[in-house]
Amino acid sequence: MSSHRKNIFLGLGIAILLALVPLLTKRNDIINIMVLIFLYICLAQSWNILAGYTGQVSLGHAAFFGLGAITTRILWVGGYPFLMAFTTGGLVAVVFALIVGHPALRLRGIYFAIGTLGLAQILKITVGNILPTVADLPGDYIATYNLIPRYYLFLILAVIMVVVVYLVGHSKLGLGMVAVREDEEAAEASGVNPFRQKMISLAISSFFAGLAGGAFAFYQVSYYHDLPFSPTWTFDALLITFVGGVGTIVGPIIGAFFYAIFREFFARAFPELHVFIFGTLFILVVLLLPGGLVEAVSRIRRLIRAKKTDTGFS
Amino acid sequence: MGKQSKTPLLQVEKLVKSFGGLMALFGVNFEIHPGEIFSVIGPNGSGKTTLFNIITGFLKANSGKVTFMGKDITGLPPHQICRQGIARIFQLVKPFHQLTTLQNVMVGRAYGKDPATNLRKSKEEVVEILNFVGLGNKIEVVASQLTMAERKRLELARALAAHPQLLLLDELMAGLNSAETEIAMELVKKIRGSGITVMMVEHIMKAVLGISDRIMALNIGEKIAEGLPKDVVKNQLVIEAYLGK
Repeated sequence: MSSHRKNIFLGLGIAILLALVPLLTKRNDIINIMVLIFLYICLAQSWNILAGYTGQVSLGHAAFFGLGAITTRILWVGGYPFLMAFTTGGLVAVVFALIVGHPALRLRGIYFAIGTLGLAQILKITVGNILPTVADLPGDYIATYNLIPRYYLFLILAVIMVVVVYLVGHSKLGLGMVAVREDEEAAEASGVNPFRQKMISLAISSFFAGLAGGAFAFYQVSYYHDLPFSPTWTFDALLITFVGGVGTIVGPIIGAFFYAIFREFFARAFPELHVFIFGTLFILVVLLLPGGLVEAVSRIRRLIRAKKTDTGFS
Repeated sequence: MGKQSKTPLLQVEKLVKSFGGLMALFGVNFEIHPGEIFSVIGPNGSGKTTLFNIITGFLKANSGKVTFMGKDITGLPPHQICRQGIARIFQLVKPFHQLTTLQNVMVGRAYGKDPATNLRKSKEEVVEILNFVGLGNKIEVVASQLTMAERKRLELARALAAHPQLLLLDELMAGLNSAETEIAMELVKKIRGSGITVMMVEHIMKAVLGISDRIMALNIGEKIAEGLPKDVVKNQLVIEAYLGK
């Protein structure tokens, strides 16, 4: 299909351009904000597959991010090879998700949201109590610290995440997920097993959230162990997805760029007011564009097309 | 009749269902034979939809047995019952609103009986089904933009895509005008003609009498009559159930 091929080339082109960024600039602030954008893409996209595609709005996403982070950090600092620690982090998040998902996914709507929020908070407090210390990197790790491999780790992770959501979105599995989101009973009557769809979706979602956490643990030199469990990560993912366009593949990507760049800009321009301005902006976007920025893009496109036909240039 | 000698496609035995203290079904027995159009009638609250929901797995009966093609399917979850070959439509239509009609029907094809693994290869069949129900010109239209009559047809198409041997129609004609009802009746006849057995709950008497082979009448959870349409409508109990004594 030509539209498939077009999408793949477009995505590949953007990924290659982004891969060139560290060769073009030596400015650490630019590299750091790009790292943050990639982190947000992965976090938001992994939330999107569960909430946007399958309709299960989880407020416990930070739990998976935190588990990935803590597992990766402890194993990696403990002397295991990074990639092994990193993958284990993702898998630990999945195991936890599936254990918790078994009862939680039987809850519907608001109850699922509250239940997952509660679980994540319990986990955050427990980690804070058991490991109240700062997760510092040992001296020899700091001595060899280099931002560039971190940049590529995050870039690759974001690309893989987007590719996975794209493939799932165009597959039978994705169709079943969307059917569950649209109407669970109608999906069941058509032969879809809603519980199975939700569990698979949760597994994919938690795996990538866990990997994002692991990448964070690889990137951040010093933080409290319970920081990656903070609900902020959940709400960042949620806001980014909604602002970009929930249930779409492009939405979380646009949202992540928008969120990271504007927040940085406002924080520098209006240090005292930036949270307020940012909050207002969010409310406006959600009120005026329920479909997110993706909707804005398609509206503008339609306008342009309409104008073109009006003036006879078609 | 000869019909009794055939093995039934669906056999329902002593079905009992209560909601708390309210008895919805009170030991209902009946059989549906391959190739027939079997209608269930009865006043509101007589247990018709409850019966549908038990057969399709959306409700669990307190006791009793449902056998489909010789297999006990009592208590199976809805998606497994669909994969056995029983598809249904809902009285209040449930389209997947944000999906196109093509995608809606594709769900049935991908997850129903003999499910498709390659969506692209089944597109042709799905389009054919959409043509069959008269939605061939709406393939790319999002379900939320369809009219009520079109949504009913979409519901039908999605059920047909699941390759059922038995199709359960819960008030297919409700909410349709008389021209649309005619079209729907023709469709049901065509569906039966393609070898699918039909069980329907219907309030539109013209439709029930026009296309049913046999009718069962329920009243307050009990079977009060069963037989040919012309006999059932003359049955004293049926007349009393609808009009009072």
